[in-house]
Parts: sequence; structure tokens; C-alpha cells
Amino acid sequence: MNKYLLNGLYALFAILIILAFAFKLFQPIKVLPRMQLAPAFNLTDQNDARLTSEELRGKFVLYNFTYVNCPAPCYNLNKTMQEVQSRLSEAQLGDIQVEFITISFDPDRDSPTVLRTYADSIGSDTKQWRFATNTNKALLKTIIGSGFETYYEDKGEGKFAFDPSFVLVDGWGIVRAEYRYHAEVSDADRIIRHLSVLAEEVRNSTGTAKLAYEAAHLFLCYAP
Amino acid sequence: MSAQPMHIHPYERNWMVFSAVMLVLFATAVSVAAFGMGIQVPAPEQRVDPRIVATDPNSPWSNPGLREVSPGKYDAYILAHAIPVWEYLPKEITVPAGSSVSFYVTSSDVQHGFKIQDTNANFMVIPGQVSKLTIKFNKPGTYNYICTEYCGSGHGIMYGAIIVTP
Repeated sequence: MNKYLLNGLYALFAILIILAFAFKLFQPIKVLPRMQLAPAFNLTDQNDARLTSEELRGKFVLYNFTYVNCPAPCYNLNKTMQEVQSRLSEAQLGDIQVEFITISFDPDRDSPTVLRTYADSIGSDTKQWRFATNTNKALLKTIIGSGFETYYEDKGEGKFAFDPSFVLVDGWGIVRAEYRYHAEVSDADRIIRHLSVLAEEVRNSTGTAKLAYEAAHLFLCYAP
Repeated sequence: MSAQPMHIHPYERNWMVFSAVMLVLFATAVSVAAFGMGIQVPAPEQRVDPRIVATDPNSPWSNPGLREVSPGKYDAYILAHAIPVWEYLPKEITVPAGSSVSFYVTSSDVQHGFKIQDTNANFMVIPGQVSKLTIKFNKPGTYNYICTEYCGSGHGIMYGAIIVTP
């Protein structure tokens, strides 16, 4: 009797290991990694209104970082934002809201008025896409540099050097994806795909399915 | 029918026990290294197109070098290439002691290697992929980085240096 019990235990152990391998190999559920906490911030937007990280809880937010005087085409940043905005229906988000936020690292020149004119000039829907900055430059460096890990540097005479990047933050304030130069698939395509993966996780990750999603995080089943 | 106990020679049994112990020991060592000591494996960070990675103005490697992301935290975009000559771009970077530097290394032609002497950084540089690793430099000095994968006749002259100032 003891022998049967022991064999049964071995079999159970083997099945568990095989299941774990199969889960990792076939990746039935794909998730976006939880990279780090997004920084908390307090900015002023193009309508001179306060924009804080707290009011964005529960929404997906796509950030990018630039300045108004960036010589066109300025890394195609606006083009990507606009493309994602116009193709949002492809991501099947349901009732989850998405916000787009462009943070300017040139507060000397990019006052709310300048930002508003800029937003109008590129024809953005400013309800969904907001432009913001903070006149405290040290704080701004902490938010963009330490928080979003994006490089920018004042080169004098209104010129900045920076690396183009997009950061996708989920409703819990966790950074789920960063986009820093991919030549193969366009950033817009990847952002749309990632938004739908994220929305699916938010919708389905309840009850028992939550355990499966946590397993996907544990086994690094990351969507490409 | 009662099962006869299988006869195993003591030497063989000793070796079996020894291998089992080794297996458990190594599995433990790997787990402790990964979870306890936070050892990072240089995983491919992202995919790029090696044909344009050095020339596309959108690419950070069109302007390789060091960027200070925030005080004491740096990104180093390093391009390894064999054409026109075997070298890393940039050849030299200087950071103050105590800085943590994230290396993003890619190649625009053939496969190279990237090893920083006196650190645990050592990884392949594969065209089309970006390898990322973060190293904290606490001790001042010169840390050479060298190519560790044979990449052609100029392989031996392919090196650069990180100068950590006090």
C-alpha cells in the first residue's frame, strides 16, 4: 500500500513538472512584464491645470517626452502618438480608458500657452492627449530621468539632446512596456498589441484565472 | 509474487548518491545566485535592424556614447563593428566612481563579444539584437572592454576603456 502511495506521489510530481514545462513552452497566456513603479508626479498641463499621477489611476497611460522647438520630424514621436490614438479601436479595450501624455523637458520656453498652441498645431484631441511640464527643473529631471529612465540634456540656446522613448503605464501605476527604438516592427504596432494584451489581463485576471495570469508572470510568458 | 530487492554494487550506489547531491547543490547555487544575489543574465533586450542601426537618425547608436539619465545613473550606447575597422564606438567613456552604467550594445555587421575586465560583464554582441547589462563602478581605475568572440583579422585590436574617476 505504501509503495502505491509513493508511486502516486512520484507520478504527481512528474505531472507537475511536465505541466510547468508545457506552460512555459506553449505560453497559453501572455502578459506584459511588471517592470517597475512609474514615478509619481505633479505637472501643469496645456490648460494651466494640475496633472498628477494620482488622477491617472485606473487608466492606461502612454507617455512620451519631447520639447516644442524640437526640429521636425523630431523622431516621428507625434506621428506615432497620433497613429496609436486613431487605431485605438483595434486594441479592444472595452471600457478601459487610455490617456496620452507628452511631457516637455523645456519649461523655460514651453509655457502652458505654448503647449496649447502646439497641441492645436498638430491637431491633437486634447481631452485624451495632454501636454504638460513643470517649472521646477530638478523635479522634472527626477521624473523623466530617474522615474521614466529617459535621457535628455539641455545643450543651450533652446536645443536639447534626448533619446526618443514611449512608456506604457497600467492602471496600477506600474510601467509595463518601454519603447526605445525598434526598427523591425513600428512602435505604433507594438503599442496597439500591448494595449490589447494589457486590457485582456485586466478583464480576465479574476478568480482562478488570476492564478494562471500570475503563473504567466512567474514563468516570464511575455508578449513580444 | 514478492519483489526481490535489486542488488546495487556499493561503488555504483555511492556514485549515484554523489551525482544526486551534486544536482541538488548546483540547483541550489543557481537559485541562490538568481534570486538571492540578484545576478542578471544579459538577455537580448530588443531587436533592431543591423543594416540601419548605425545610420538611422532615430537610432541611439547613430550617436553612440554615454548619456547621464539622472545623477549617477548613465546609459552607454555602444556600437561594435568590423567595417571599416574593428572597433567599438565610443572607444572610451569616463564616469565618476559610484556610477551605475547600463550598457546597450549592438553590432552593425558581424558577431562580436563584450567583456569588461574586472567586472562580471561578459556577453555576446549579436547583429540585430541589443544586449543590456547594468554595472555599478565603485572603485576608481581603468576598466578595459575587449572583444571576446573572434570577428575577423582585426579582432585582437578591438577594445575600449571605461575610466572611473575618483
